[in-house]
Amino acid sequence: MKLARIALAIGLVAALSTAAASSAAQGSRASSTLKIGISLSLSGDFSDSGKAAMRGYNLWRDVVNAHGGLLGHPVKLKILDDTSSPTQVVSNYQNLITKDKVAFVFGPFSTLLTAPAATVANRYHYAFIEPAGGGPAVFGEKLHNVFFTQPAPIIDSADVFAHYILSLPKSLRPKTAAYPSLDDPFASPIADRVRTLLEKKGIRTVYKTIYPAETTDLAPIVSKYAAMKPDLVVGGTQNNDAYAQIKAMIQLRFSPKFLFFSNGPNDPAEFPSKVGPQNVNGIFSSGDWFPQSKAPGNKAFVAAYAKKYGKGPIDPTSPEAFAAGQVLQLAVAKTHSLDNGKIITALHKGSWPTVEGVLRWNSIGEPQGSDLLVEWVHGKLYPVYPKKIALHAPFAPKPPWGKG
Amino acid sequence: MHLVVQACILGVLTGGVYALMASGLTLVFGVMRVINVAQGALVILSAYLSWALFTHFQVDPFLSVLIVAPLIFALGVGVQLVFIRSLRSEQAEELSLLITWALALGIEGVLGAVYETTYRATNTSYANSAWTIFGYQVSVVRAYAFGLCVAVLVLLYLLLARTRFGRSVRATVQNPSSALLLGVNADRVRALAFGIGVSTAAAAGAVYGVLYPFNPGSHYDLISRLLSIVVLGGLGSVAGAVAAALMMGVVEAVVAVEISPVWSSFSYFVVLVAILLLRPQGFFGARERTL
Amino acid sequence: MRWITPGGLLRGGGVFGLLAAFPFVERTDWIVNIGVFTLMYAGLATAWNLFSGYTGYISLGQAAFFGIGAYATGITFEHISIGSGYRPFYALPLIGLAVGLVSVPVAWVALRTRAMTFAIVTLMLLFIVQQLAFNLRSITHGSQGVAVPQPTFASNFDRPYYLAMLSVLALAMLICWYVRRSKLGLMLLGIRDDEEKARGLGVRVTGAKLIAWALSVGLTAMIGGIWGYYLFSIYPESAVDPLVMIGAVLMAFLGGKGTLWGPMIGAFVLVPAQQWALTSYGATRLYLIAYAGVFVLVLLLLPRGIVPSLADLVSRRRFRATDRPDVRPTVERVAS
Repeated sequence: MKLARIALAIGLVAALSTAAASSAAQGSRASSTLKIGISLSLSGDFSDSGKAAMRGYNLWRDVVNAHGGLLGHPVKLKILDDTSSPTQVVSNYQNLITKDKVAFVFGPFSTLLTAPAATVANRYHYAFIEPAGGGPAVFGEKLHNVFFTQPAPIIDSADVFAHYILSLPKSLRPKTAAYPSLDDPFASPIADRVRTLLEKKGIRTVYKTIYPAETTDLAPIVSKYAAMKPDLVVGGTQNNDAYAQIKAMIQLRFSPKFLFFSNGPNDPAEFPSKVGPQNVNGIFSSGDWFPQSKAPGNKAFVAAYAKKYGKGPIDPTSPEAFAAGQVLQLAVAKTHSLDNGKIITALHKGSWPTVEGVLRWNSIGEPQGSDLLVEWVHGKLYPVYPKKIALHAPFAPKPPWGKG
Repeated sequence: MHLVVQACILGVLTGGVYALMASGLTLVFGVMRVINVAQGALVILSAYLSWALFTHFQVDPFLSVLIVAPLIFALGVGVQLVFIRSLRSEQAEELSLLITWALALGIEGVLGAVYETTYRATNTSYANSAWTIFGYQVSVVRAYAFGLCVAVLVLLYLLLARTRFGRSVRATVQNPSSALLLGVNADRVRALAFGIGVSTAAAAGAVYGVLYPFNPGSHYDLISRLLSIVVLGGLGSVAGAVAAALMMGVVEAVVAVEISPVWSSFSYFVVLVAILLLRPQGFFGARERTL
Repeated sequence: MRWITPGGLLRGGGVFGLLAAFPFVERTDWIVNIGVFTLMYAGLATAWNLFSGYTGYISLGQAAFFGIGAYATGITFEHISIGSGYRPFYALPLIGLAVGLVSVPVAWVALRTRAMTFAIVTLMLLFIVQQLAFNLRSITHGSQGVAVPQPTFASNFDRPYYLAMLSVLALAMLICWYVRRSKLGLMLLGIRDDEEKARGLGVRVTGAKLIAWALSVGLTAMIGGIWGYYLFSIYPESAVDPLVMIGAVLMAFLGGKGTLWGPMIGAFVLVPAQQWALTSYGATRLYLIAYAGVFVLVLLLLPRGIVPSLADLVSRRRFRATDRPDVRPTVERVAS
């Protein structure tokens, strides 16, 4: 068919001419501003966190520009939407690096997107400072240009709870434990780590299971482990399944002596409203950042955030993204260079103070610190362990539902 | 044994809610040969409406059914008149599948723009309470939700069995051309049937938010369940949809406690494939002809 | 080969020659990258068309086999070295063949159902495969995903992937073209028009449907394999994605379901447009709404797609010019 041929020809010509036009445009660009490219999930499943990351990045840009930019160049962020799709994230970083010719890139939100994005950055020898890709899939690529700006890899984030349990005198320690976890790269591996650590010290596992992400009904699982009456329940969870498990426990009137969920209870704004404020006490969780944290510059960050965005609760993704900016800023100042290669080399040595704590990395970008253990005490969330950063002493056993 | 009985109770209660959503889906198919892929998205839309009514005006979700269902009914009639009626008849079936899919994406997009993707849940004062009956725990909200769904299903049955409108619907299901000859106003029956079909989604959706947390993307999982229910029950058969939904609820709950939660929804699919091998038309369906 | 016309040869050769030359003329990585995804969707839409467009059985489950192809490639090269980096491409035909064969019993069960039930059963197939990808943790690593080793192509990293996608697309077009003109094609179109009648006339309908299905699925799996190797990370939710499926179906409808060139043209229009919209306006939340809007518009305004609509328009003109308005060739013939 003749028309098909014409349509194709037009398509090809159009594609070629836009390409030519855009490469011509690249020649005549003013060079004083410094562009940093980021792909974020502004729509799709991760969009709330994507927007929280954007707030952190934008706040850092304001702060760094107020202090004269990077080596005198004002910073401009070029942010593309990846619709939470790994396919799109690959296109976006290629666009940012080869079309927009940005000087640096920062990471997107979630491990799912960070792993493919990091390989693209690596191919063009860009440093990949990333706030939210802390799962094993990212480090499994063994890339030398990745730097994760949280205190610990995600799967180690509950180690601090195991250390707390093992710090208790033997008579107070739980004897039996259940491990119900969500099938998610950020959830089940966390509980597996805790289980290995606790089993080694003789805490008996009476139940473990992994449930799929689309399980909306956790009542069957909870009724199963409630029947075994474990002293300790450790859930590798995201927020909703944690809420659902707690709801089911309340309905079944089962209250273990120790209760830890890797996510859910660490959200100070949402958690009480989801399970009822009278039911929160004695529940443990862990996290990388809290508003009251004593990390370097955190007070100033919280104040600047409130000034720019108002006094609402802060999603931890915002300070994580802010920390990515801080790391770049420190590395540029230290090397006195805008060269990605030099920055990668520099970041592999020394330690770097950020709102996420003092960070340092091994050769594949895993941070070498530890998260904070938090607990609900009298209706408020406090960091309780390790001691030197605690704002309240941990207490156990957990009171019955609706008490304490 | 105790756990299995507990799981069966839970399964029946859950199945009742799915039965309501699926009955509307299968009714719409029976009347107009349209698979409404947006049924799941409409459940989520209703869940958001009822959540908003509860959060801003303290309307109890079980009462908000009375507000949400008429709204969604009107939306359904509108969709039928604007989009589905105008499809050309030769390809209407497959095009309607795609157009309702587009509608589902559109609803997801609007909800995402308005409410973001944070999960919401309607937390009533009685959300966490439970009764103990013969040593078994029965969640109060699940029991209420089940009761509501049964009530709506009974209403639907009476409407189809006892009214003039119901007779014209059944006539259209059985034989569209002779219904037409008997003076049934096909356009009106279709529009009303579509409206009623989606209002069952609305009624179930209003209570969905009390049972489960949801976000705009939750409709994918819902629709895959609903479609498998209506296929198992036999496309067009309301009784089949109810039976299949209850079966799904029980199979999933029992497999979750006895084998592993990971395989619970998978086990239902296995049952489905096995039954389709024996009866490709489902429990109560008539064998379909080609397009 | 009496079917090969000089016009057809010129058309096919010209289009694919231009497409093959493209990454050597245009070396900017991001453009070649968009080219890779355009060819990917063109291939998916063409493969979908080979089964659904020709038989009239709407399958919503091809994305399941895209995922299986991706996983098969990823898991194979977890254990075997990728050599110089080209080995996974050479393995593709084997993967396509294997997946195509394995899918036959599945299709046999699914094809016991008709029309709408078939569409739904295939859609469920997609969710079943996604669940298996999550649950068969020892093989697929569940939600952790499979990491595929990366090659070290020195420069123009995207070009080999582009050429691989192009080869599969060319293969798909060649098969479509051949099927349309073969006895199999006649059988498939017979099924689309009236399956009972075709069966009554002695057409072995099940066999014909299964062959078309296996071909379509094998091609889809090959494309999935290239995709997995291009991204290096394969996760259940992105490898078996209903939106990929819907994208391919939409492109086939836009271009013209059941025509030879339609699905490919649909992809060449939509993928670059989508990329352009995302990079220019992606920061707004209206992306999904706009996507749904385009979808509805295509279905309402061009229910038969670009190619048949244009063909209709042209033939009407021609016949008006020759003043014989009552004799019109059927759309299908003109469009192919």
